[in-house]
Amino acid sequence: QEEAQAIDQELFTEYKFSVDQLMELAGLSCATAIAKAYPPSSFTTSQPAVLVVCGPGNNGGDGLVCARHLKMFGYQPAVYYPKRPSKPLFEGLTTQCEKMDIPFLPEFPTEPAFIDELYGVVVDAIFGFSFKGAVREPFGSILSTLEHVTVPIASIDIPSGWDVEKGKADGLQPDMLISLTAPKKAAMHFTGRYHFLGGRFVPPALQEKYALNLPTYPGTDCVLQLT
Amino acid sequence: LPQAFPLPSLPRKQPTVLVVCGPAQNGAIGLVCARHLRIFDYEPTIFYPKRSPDPLYRDFTTQCEKMDIPFLSYLPTEVQLINDAYNAVVDAVLGAEAEVGEGREPCAAILATLKHIRIPIVSLDVPSGWDAESGSSGGISPDVLVSLAAPKECARRFVGRQHFVAGRFLPYDVQKKFELNAPEYPGTECVVAL
Repeated sequence: QEEAQAIDQELFTEYKFSVDQLMELAGLSCATAIAKAYPPSSFTTSQPAVLVVCGPGNNGGDGLVCARHLKMFGYQPAVYYPKRPSKPLFEGLTTQCEKMDIPFLPEFPTEPAFIDELYGVVVDAIFGFSFKGAVREPFGSILSTLEHVTVPIASIDIPSGWDVEKGKADGLQPDMLISLTAPKKAAMHFTGRYHFLGGRFVPPALQEKYALNLPTYPGTDCVLQLT
Repeated sequence: LPQAFPLPSLPRKQPTVLVVCGPAQNGAIGLVCARHLRIFDYEPTIFYPKRSPDPLYRDFTTQCEKMDIPFLSYLPTEVQLINDAYNAVVDAVLGAEAEVGEGREPCAAILATLKHIRIPIVSLDVPSGWDAESGSSGGISPDVLVSLAAPKECARRFVGRQHFVAGRFLPYDVQKKFELNAPEYPGTECVVAL
């Protein structure tokens, strides 16, 4: 967790990347990975409907970007975003989604069965690699519901609720994990079908400095399928 | 650029590309392009003589510098030097925002050199020096044009080898409102060949 935070810090302070830049590339990777694993033609719902659950921090921001690109790729995303930071970055991302007719649900579906009926995929953009400590409401209840959903869940960076290094055996078991920048230790406990790497923006010098040993991305793709 | 000039197809031993950046937005797009070319394992070199004071564009410059992308201090007027050193040139000098006559002068010398090079030129959005609507008379002749968001009027006069549209971010209602007839992008691609 510390290493991931150190890399992030260097990207922002030494390389002068903006949060906006990296978040856009991260969210685009997530949408691309989801589109590769769950193409619109694979949905059994009448529309390729996707539920994107966004948490209160940067992972939620990644989710908002992802939702917008999913819309561009022909999906019908809907966003649940209960705790919104009052920062221009997140307000901007929210507006971009709203202006693209992406609905923001006023309530979270109370039953897992409702989610299974309406959506073909759920994107877990609740907590990321900075998560520490206890899960605050409403996210505790949301995660309990998600744990009983049968449609595939795609988690952004870390399955939400997991310890960032040790995982959580009785927690969310997503079908897909999109590791951003580099896989985190928790990824070792991932047992789902699809593990993608995204966030193709780490300068070669930084990869070397932290001995990331990242595999090669194919061509100009912004995602790499690890499993 | 990798679609038009894939790495294995490049004539030179090293996958070198010269990215010429103008003082405004088109130049900034060139800086971002150079950074991604580096991630794609090309070896870009940037010529960016007139740097914008815009903090966002200054950060783009820092990102390139920190990624060890060299910045030339001058553009050789001897075109053979450019032909020999690089596989292609990215023209990010002037975009659709350039006013006729104004702001063109500092770039005129660059464009005069680019007119005579033999290696392929990839122009971003508008071939630099062309009027965004009516096109060129005796300006540079790019091999590849990458129209951003949607083709500009002057793209009708483009006679090069390949025309791409890139910049897959226009919401549908903007496309409809301005009757853009934007092409369909395949799958999750962010570039489409016209």
